[in-house]
Amino acid sequence: MRSILQIISLLALIALTLPSVIFLAGKLELDRVKWIMLLATIVWFVAAAGWMWKDNGAGQQDAG
Amino acid sequence: MDTEQQSQQTQTGSEFEREPVPKSALLGFKSFIGMYAGEHCAGTELMIGPLFVAAGVSAFDLVMGLVVGNALAVFSWMFLCAPIATRRRLTLYYQLEKICGRKLVSLYNIANGVMFCFLAGAMVTVSATAVGVWFKFKMPGLNDLYPNSIGWVAAVAVVGGLIAIVAAYGYKTVAKFANIAAPWMVLVFLAFGFVGLRQFINATGAEVKSLGDFWTLANTHIWKGGAPQEGQVKFTIWHVMFFAWFCNMAMHVGMSDLSVFRFARKSWYAIASSAGMYVGHFMAWISASILYAYQLHLNPADTDVLPGPLAYRAAGLVGLLCVIIAGWTTANPTIYRAGLAFQALSPKSSRFKVTLITGAIATIAGMFPAIAMKLLDFVAIYGMILMPMGAVIFVDFWLLPKLGLRASYAELSGSSFNWAAGVAWILTLAVCLGAVFSIGRWSLWFASLPGWFVAALLYIVLSKIYQKKLRPVAAEYKEN
Repeated sequence: MRSILQIISLLALIALTLPSVIFLAGKLELDRVKWIMLLATIVWFVAAAGWMWKDNGAGQQDAG
Repeated sequence: MDTEQQSQQTQTGSEFEREPVPKSALLGFKSFIGMYAGEHCAGTELMIGPLFVAAGVSAFDLVMGLVVGNALAVFSWMFLCAPIATRRRLTLYYQLEKICGRKLVSLYNIANGVMFCFLAGAMVTVSATAVGVWFKFKMPGLNDLYPNSIGWVAAVAVVGGLIAIVAAYGYKTVAKFANIAAPWMVLVFLAFGFVGLRQFINATGAEVKSLGDFWTLANTHIWKGGAPQEGQVKFTIWHVMFFAWFCNMAMHVGMSDLSVFRFARKSWYAIASSAGMYVGHFMAWISASILYAYQLHLNPADTDVLPGPLAYRAAGLVGLLCVIIAGWTTANPTIYRAGLAFQALSPKSSRFKVTLITGAIATIAGMFPAIAMKLLDFVAIYGMILMPMGAVIFVDFWLLPKLGLRASYAELSGSSFNWAAGVAWILTLAVCLGAVFSIGRWSLWFASLPGWFVAALLYIVLSKIYQKKLRPVAAEYKEN
């Protein structure tokens, strides 16, 4: 489950960035970029929270 | 920039507060890369980038100034802060207490806490500009010093109030959320840059097929140089370089990050700070500056630096979310940290109440746009105020024993106020501020460099006098 969530998170980050790169290349409308980014944001926070929330606690302990 | 690091310090500060970090608790290199990369991409970056453009910076001056200035910041972490951190492995506060005594450290805490409050206020201001996009109230302009509408005051009160309550109730939960948001936020900043660039290409009709074409666009339309906006100081390569170097002065030269690097196995781990510098203080500043330059391109009279509308134009709802989250997740640890600094003065007071009161002060500060709109000035003053204590620690650790003087003298003499350190601090500040007032506002970004040497020299001379007058009471004196 954890690896699946990690893969989804990675894909979400790619989906967050890629539209702006394609927009820079002049091959995508800005409105569509904004929608894809919004969708990617939702997916990122849901998927990342699934595996990072627990890690985070450990991470803070480490940092501390 | 950033005080967002304070979250780390809060975390790190919760353990081994009055003892060296043991070997078993040391951290690997990777921990520091992640920490710095995420922590230096904050809400205030959305102000700083645009303010560079408002200061009339040119493309070459911006890029080269940031490349060199950020490198100098990394070197300061590597060669000033980390070597002491990994040798002593103490928190900044404990180290200072040994040198300065408890009462002088309390004074330092007040100064630190007040600066944190103002900085958190600027972060609340940034978040509140996103609320303005929804509710369409009048927001402050570039040269506004006071709140200019009831809507603005209400928005800051709500945003700041919520941040303060959350910081008081659930600091750790927000810190966890901030860690999840960090990679997302970095990439949204990157997207701002890409979108802004395309918008420029579309608006100017420029043909960009090579790096040379891009450079031409950058020089002729984005960072054109020339006169700054009204009320701003003209920024040259030197201003950009020194700003990038000193905007985290409190952390590296000022030694706040002793608390972070005391966990590093090797002092060279401080090179990890380059991840924060070149992500947050290079890419994010450049991206945010493109958005503002595009706004000026569309309407040269629209000089308002408002991260909310800027981000909304580039990335819609995601842009607004980024502004709110960036401001919130960085104001949270800053308010919490300021609360800790104040609470150190009265340890019996409730952490909850102190954090709430601190948050209320930050919220009131946030209503005054002067801090956010003059963020370039504020950050320089912030570093200048805390820098002399960094010089004191440096001299105390490396030079005093070689000059036949004793390090950590407050601990040795049982003094609660090391006058040599206190006078060096206050006199250096007076010299720096006096120089800025007499030379001119433009020198604000440079005064801290000679100021460091003034502080170091003063501390050596004053220690010679002070250590003759006040003899150590400790039974044993251990060489560093």
